[in-house]
Amino acid sequence: MSAANAEAGSVTPGREAAKAADLPEDARAAVRDLILVLADTKRLLGMRYGQWLLGAPELEAGIACASMAQDEWGHARLLYALLRDFGDETDRIEHGRQPAEYASMDVLDTEPSDWPGLVAVNALVDTAVTVQLAALTESAYVPLRQRVQKLIDEESFHEAHGNAWARRIAGAGPDAAARMRDAVTAILPGVLRWFGPDSASSRTLQEASISNGSDSDLRRRYLERVAPLLQVVHADVVSMEPDFTGFDEHRRRRTDRAPDERTIEQVRGDRNRAFLMD
Amino acid sequence: MIYEIFARKSRGEPLRHIGNLNAPDDELARVYAFSTYDEEKWFDMFVTPRDRFIEVFNRLDAEPSDRAPATSERGA
Repeated sequence: MSAANAEAGSVTPGREAAKAADLPEDARAAVRDLILVLADTKRLLGMRYGQWLLGAPELEAGIACASMAQDEWGHARLLYALLRDFGDETDRIEHGRQPAEYASMDVLDTEPSDWPGLVAVNALVDTAVTVQLAALTESAYVPLRQRVQKLIDEESFHEAHGNAWARRIAGAGPDAAARMRDAVTAILPGVLRWFGPDSASSRTLQEASISNGSDSDLRRRYLERVAPLLQVVHADVVSMEPDFTGFDEHRRRRTDRAPDERTIEQVRGDRNRAFLMD
Repeated sequence: MIYEIFARKSRGEPLRHIGNLNAPDDELARVYAFSTYDEEKWFDMFVTPRDRFIEVFNRLDAEPSDRAPATSERGA
């Protein structure tokens, strides 16, 4: 089916859209939101890994953090670049936003205070993003579909790293085990909330064949995937029904806080602005 | 525990020793091997604990008189 034959915005559910303009208007806005959420979350996740390059308990774990940070930053760049198709100015998006404008997962707002905290982010947040990406592998929006499998493949060892470390810490005596469990239970509700409240825009994504599951479907898939990890660290899922008070559906995060200023300065590259040439 | 890493670029090629790393168990050894040595496009990669290497023979131990000019054996 040729996009040239279709009038802008006239793609029927189940049909492919080679460019954003081919998507129905409501789906276009929802896809744009989703891409920004994924890009910002990956960028912040990359920062959190990056902040542990030198603080990890062994050299090889530091190297793994460097590798994961690189992956996440590369993926974020690729996703930001997709926003051009939606009329966004990627330079402003990457270098010109205030912390309160970010659409990153709120559990990434602050740097993990200890290694179990970073391991919890690694095992829970990274895997949540993978589950969300996996729902897009058959997406009707072609530019997204063409990229997600590559992202999933490249981050395949992130989850293994997080799980292996969580298991190791959980088995290293009662104090370590308690810290690992606390780190997981501290962020799990936020990660579950991140999948969203089955909003109108998420229904639009399903109806336009962008995503193959509702927010609740993805939350369920995610919980199935992390169940073995939760068992290992003895963490209980308190509630499958997250608290959506103060939740912004478009940015998929709570609005009463934002990523820390210093991290966003680094994310934007403020100190390198003088060297940006184009 | 020390692990040794082997990889090759294509199926027909012999496995090549590409390095070693420290890991507490096999699971993390796999992850570390991947994150440390994945810059190149390998066809496959293997990791094994160094202490699982079984020596078949070692020319230096067998013939102590050969020990001095070890490199000359290969004509290097």
